[in-house]
Amino acid sequence: MRPPIFAAFALLALLAVSVPVSAHHAPSAIFDMDHAFTMTGQCTSVDWVNPHIILHMDGKDAAGNVAKWTFESNPPAWFKKAGVSRQDVIKAVGQTVTVEGLRAKDGSSYGYFLKLTFADGSSVEWNSLLDQALGKKSE
Amino acid sequence: MKFSSLSAGIAAAVLFSAPLTTFAQQAGSAANSALAAQSPKPTPKTADGRPDLNGTWATAGGISAVFQSQKKEDGSISIKGGDQYYIFTSKRPTGAGARAYQPAAPSYKPEFLDKVKYLSDNESKTDLVFNCGKPGVPRIGPPRQIVQTKRDVIFLYEDMSGDGYRVIPIDGRPHRAGLDPSYNGDSIGHWEGNALVVEAVNFNEDTWFGENGYFHSDQMKVTERFTRDGDAILYQVTVEDPKVLTAPFVMAPKKLDATNEQLEESPRCSDQDGGRLLNNDHHVQR
Repeated sequence: MRPPIFAAFALLALLAVSVPVSAHHAPSAIFDMDHAFTMTGQCTSVDWVNPHIILHMDGKDAAGNVAKWTFESNPPAWFKKAGVSRQDVIKAVGQTVTVEGLRAKDGSSYGYFLKLTFADGSSVEWNSLLDQALGKKSE
Repeated sequence: MKFSSLSAGIAAAVLFSAPLTTFAQQAGSAANSALAAQSPKPTPKTADGRPDLNGTWATAGGISAVFQSQKKEDGSISIKGGDQYYIFTSKRPTGAGARAYQPAAPSYKPEFLDKVKYLSDNESKTDLVFNCGKPGVPRIGPPRQIVQTKRDVIFLYEDMSGDGYRVIPIDGRPHRAGLDPSYNGDSIGHWEGNALVVEAVNFNEDTWFGENGYFHSDQMKVTERFTRDGDAILYQVTVEDPKVLTAPFVMAPKKLDATNEQLEESPRCSDQDGGRLLNNDHHVQR
């Protein structure tokens, strides 16, 4: 029978995360996890930065006027491990894109994107969380 | 990069039936046998007969093990998995999940417990790493690349605060006199059998040695052990700080696997959403 060190070591290996995550907060501390929303507009820039990649968009406010919106998602290293390259995302710049995501609770024009659909209809999405959020869509 | 699917490899179930302290007491000889059973390849040696730690390394079981992404013909990418990377619910984890999220704590002197709690509860304001600050040692974790000579071992890191390095003399030179305190401290190393033992002192007090408000004094000493067996290194860390702790804090060991993944410069760090937190800690909303 293997000594207990094997089992404990294997369990810990499951939790080891090689992406810098120290001090990072849970998205639920900022975003409304229960209501997904959709925003369409022209993507003006993408910042491929830590701790969150950032997508800037000319979206719309509640009255339908053009308004600056900012969306964040996970770190660059997370996307890389997930099989999504920087090129896969920054091609959005200059395109009219649709974002499905979660709103910031503080009411600002800020969100967390779970799905990004490009002008050609292709998309990048985080399926596991998107399914959960869409189940409680607000609009 | 074309692929049809990435296999998950390991289920991301969080099962914490084994108490964390058991293997902490089984360092040293148990480490060698533990690694040997998992990795039967011979351990490379340098010309002077020491284990060869040269190479690029990745912490075993990283998040790449738990993705199941799919790329479709139109170029769409559907990411599945990676969930355990975040606590993505509105509820605090309970049971096994809670124990995993809060592993065994260091034993602070009673007069410091309130401070630890305050720092942790207000982490978004008190933790410099939150705003892209340097994590220091040991919080930066194990090195991604090791360069080993007879005189020094050099550690290269990837970190979002700015990829750093440490130069560890291993030829008997003592700690440096007159050195200002720093984030990574002043390190020297020596061999104990097959293990490289690195001792670091002279830290500034800007850092935490762990996420949950684990502050330290200028008396902190960090001891890291690197034991190579085959294509793996067992990385063990002990934190001592007689000013604030009642006992050494033995951290959960990590297994490093040899990898072909070359170092990549970390993208710059720019915190955008800290100001949007509705409370000062960083956990799920209460």
